[in-house]
Amino acid sequence: MGGHCLWDGTLSPNDFIASADDLTKKWMAINPNLPQWTWIPCQRMDVSCNAEGYLALENMYQLSASEVNAPTDDENYSAEEAPFDNATLIQSYNDDMHIYDFHIVYSFSYQVPVLYFRGYRCDGHPLHLCDIEKDLPPYSSKIRNESKWTFMTQEEHPYLCCPWYTLHPCGTSDWMKLLLGGDLPSKNPDMLHYLSAWLSVVGQTVGLRIPLELHDKSI
Amino acid sequence: MAAESPISDRKVVVHLRATGDAPILKQTKFKIAGNDNFCKVIEFLRRQLRRDTLFVYVNSAFSPNPDELVIDLYNIFALWSLYTCDKNFGFDGKLVVNYASSMAWG
Repeated sequence: MGGHCLWDGTLSPNDFIASADDLTKKWMAINPNLPQWTWIPCQRMDVSCNAEGYLALENMYQLSASEVNAPTDDENYSAEEAPFDNATLIQSYNDDMHIYDFHIVYSFSYQVPVLYFRGYRCDGHPLHLCDIEKDLPPYSSKIRNESKWTFMTQEEHPYLCCPWYTLHPCGTSDWMKLLLGGDLPSKNPDMLHYLSAWLSVVGQTVGLRIPLELHDKSI
Repeated sequence: MAAESPISDRKVVVHLRATGDAPILKQTKFKIAGNDNFCKVIEFLRRQLRRDTLFVYVNSAFSPNPDELVIDLYNIFALWSLYTCDKNFGFDGKLVVNYASSMAWG
C-alpha cells in the first residue's frame, strides 16, 4: 500500500526562512503604511546555519483598553460611518497608547516558530501581562484561557537575553498539522505560507490583527 | 430576470467539516448571509457542539478573525480557484470551515 508520510506540523529552518521572506513581502505589499516585518540576522556560536535570524515587527501602536474599534485604513471604510475625530485620537495618544514589539523566532527544539512579544507605555514603562491582557480583544482572552494549545509564559528571548512574553510552542505542531495538513493526508502542506497561516492563529491570541489579504495566494 | 442582488444580500454556502476527534454534525451545509461576521459561524458551532473551546479554520489555510465578513472569506477562495491548478484545492462554491476540539486544560 502507499507509504505516504503524514506531516507532523513542523517546518525546517530553511522553510522558516523562506516563509519569513514571503510574509515580509506580502505584509509590505498589503500594509505599506504600518510597521514592517524585518529579518534580523543572528549568529550563535553553537549553530552553523548560515542564515539564522528572526522576524521583528516593532512599534505597533495599540490603543489601550479604553478605546474600542480603532480605525483602520481599510479601503472599504464606509463613508456613512462617524467621521474620524483627530482631536480624540491625539488626546488618546498621550494617555492610552501602548506600543508593542513582536518577534517570530524559530525553535530548533520544537521545529516550529515561536512568538515573543512585549508591550510598553509611551514613557517606556514596560507593561505587565495583566496590563497587556486588558488591551486584547475579548475573543483573544477566550482563546488564551481556554485552549490547551495557547498559553503565555515569560521566557528569556533566545537572542536578546532578556525576558519577553511568549506563547509556548508545545502545541504548535499539533494545531498546524490540522490547519495546513488538510483533509488529504498525502497532500504536501503549503510550507511557503506556513508563517502566515500560523500567524492567523497566534495573532488572534495576542491581538495582532492579520489582514485577510495576507492569505490571498494570488498576490 | 431579476437584477443581480447587491453584494450585501448574497448568501454563502458554508460546509462544516470536523477534523481531529471533533464530533461530526448531522447537517453540515448551511447558508449564511455574506455580510455576517465569521463569529456567527463560530458561535453556531459552539452551540451545536455544546463546546466552548474550538479551533476553527478555513480550507486548510488559516484561522479567520471572528469579525471578518463571510463574503470576504468566500472571495479569497474564489480568487484562489482562478489562480491555482491544484486539483486537490477543490473549491466548488462553498466556504469550507474546519473545526477541531481544543479542550481546556483539565
